[in-house]
Amino acid sequence: MNDMLDIKNLPVKLADEDRAIINGLSLSVKPGEVHAIMGPNGSGKSTLSYVLAGRAGYEVTQGSVTYKGEDLLAMAPDARAAKGVFLAFQYPVEIPGVATMQFLKVALNAQRKARGEKELSTPDFMRLVKDKAARLNIGQDMLKRAVNVGFSGGEKKRAEILQMAVLEPSLCVLDETDSGLDIDALRIVAVGVNALRAPGRAMIVITHYQRLLDYIVPDKVHVLSQGRIVKSGGKELALELEAKGYAEFAKEAA
Amino acid sequence: MNLAVTRTPAELAYGGELLPHARLEDWKWSNLRILIDRPYPPRLKVEARPADIERLLKSSPFAKIAGARMVFVNGHYDAKHSKLKNGDVAGTIANDEPVLALNAAFATGGAHVRIEGTADTPIELVFIATAAEARTVATRNVVEIAAGASATLIETHLGEGDYLANSVSEIRLGEGARLDRVKVEREAADAIHLAHAHVTLAKSATLRDFTLTSGARVNRQNGTYVFAGDGGDAKVAGVYLLGGKQHADTRLVVDHRMPRCISRELFKCVMDDHARGIFQGKVMVRRDAQKTDGKQSSHALLLSETAEFDAKPELEIFADDVVCGHGATSGDLDRDHLFYLRSRGIPEREAKSLLIAAFVGEAFESIGHDGIRAALIAYAGGWLKQHGGSP
Repeated sequence: MNDMLDIKNLPVKLADEDRAIINGLSLSVKPGEVHAIMGPNGSGKSTLSYVLAGRAGYEVTQGSVTYKGEDLLAMAPDARAAKGVFLAFQYPVEIPGVATMQFLKVALNAQRKARGEKELSTPDFMRLVKDKAARLNIGQDMLKRAVNVGFSGGEKKRAEILQMAVLEPSLCVLDETDSGLDIDALRIVAVGVNALRAPGRAMIVITHYQRLLDYIVPDKVHVLSQGRIVKSGGKELALELEAKGYAEFAKEAA
Repeated sequence: MNLAVTRTPAELAYGGELLPHARLEDWKWSNLRILIDRPYPPRLKVEARPADIERLLKSSPFAKIAGARMVFVNGHYDAKHSKLKNGDVAGTIANDEPVLALNAAFATGGAHVRIEGTADTPIELVFIATAAEARTVATRNVVEIAAGASATLIETHLGEGDYLANSVSEIRLGEGARLDRVKVEREAADAIHLAHAHVTLAKSATLRDFTLTSGARVNRQNGTYVFAGDGGDAKVAGVYLLGGKQHADTRLVVDHRMPRCISRELFKCVMDDHARGIFQGKVMVRRDAQKTDGKQSSHALLLSETAEFDAKPELEIFADDVVCGHGATSGDLDRDHLFYLRSRGIPEREAKSLLIAAFVGEAFESIGHDGIRAALIAYAGGWLKQHGGSP
């Protein structure tokens, strides 16, 4: 099967300072697979997620990122989203004045329009969201509020997963979705994510802790250290990592 | 047919001298002697063509909302297009400010309205200037809301061509009266709009005042709000939607003369291209105005590197038991907000429009009438389609 995402020898540096964050990272992900990327703070996990989503401020001078056969880095962030790339943010921003429902509808219809699909009518859209929101324990009151405004940490993460469920992307990048969640919230989020696992959909789950991977069981685990993948393995690698700590792996890699 | 009316001695004498100099503190950002950049336009009697009037009337955002309407064409009451008869209410304010003084010298008509009881449908005053020779079109309205009465009053300013509009509204609210006032300034692109709203609130009166400023190349609007009785409540809000080289300057004075009054000012100003916005707000709390609660804030969103915003908040407090505050912010669109929206598939222009609409939204919220608010938000949406910000 063809790779959905193929990252080849990617270096990334911050645009406004001469500091490399990612040093020659390579990773390929096939449809249906769930890859976990683990690593200590500062190893380049969030940078990788931002580069995939198209955030400004990073410089890529070599290597390549191919998504469904196309050069991902050449696309604008909204074009990437329309083609199925989704980033669940570690820190979702609060946007006062933009109602969550309106935001979801504009986003979904913008993507459908970009793909040449018919826009969804308001009643159809409402049904779609209501159904998916209920499964994530998101009530009407939350949907009526402005995007992420006044949401607790757990609510923000659930709202991210709701967006993912509504937009139905092909490649989901989850950046420390477990951070700031208590065990109950973690369970709700994990159930939501697992419900989205599908043969045509790939996921990259970025996390600091093994705990999340008890709930979202990955096909592959990669250890990221100093901007490079230093070890890859099956789901048991996460347990090993938890037992040994990152320092051991960093040493092995050096 | 254009008939030049012989200017009165006052116009001849004051035509130049009445113009405020930039040395006046209130006018330091709006030097009319430079901004008008041509001889002060004379008063001319212009006959408008019915087709021009009807086209302009149709372009009012409220064409379908206002039941009772009074139309003023080139400074004169137009009985044919009005559904409401003009009344007779005398003005009382002193013309001690440049816009007022100019208006006194040039005004040829205006609405005289007295409201008793509850006016159910909004009353729209439409001021139209039709394309003709450059000239001054000045109107003065006097509106009185009787004690216990309530009304919604819209002022719509529209036009075509090159003219200077001077609009003064003297508004008196009786005891316990309520007025929801909405003003829309959509003058022609070459026009100059000078205005002064002077509002007096008697005991326990309530005012909700909203102004959308989007037309004219030069705009200067003064607002004077006087609490003349105990327990008054005034909210004054505004939105600027400016592009090109537009210049808009709002100068508000809220005068707390009596105790236990509440005042709120909220301005949301959007400037694109080379536009320049100014907000000057003064809250005065006199010695007897104990328990005053006054807040003022102005926020600017600059969509281009060359747009500019100046704010001058002032508090003058002579009472000792008051709560007063002011705040002013200015900035461009938040990059993180923009990226978040784009990462969900919303194209840049649309994402910017959403964020700009969200920015001004809070000010629109102060409009009580659903239909009017919706009409203005729709109008703002049209503006945003053309000004998604520089890419």
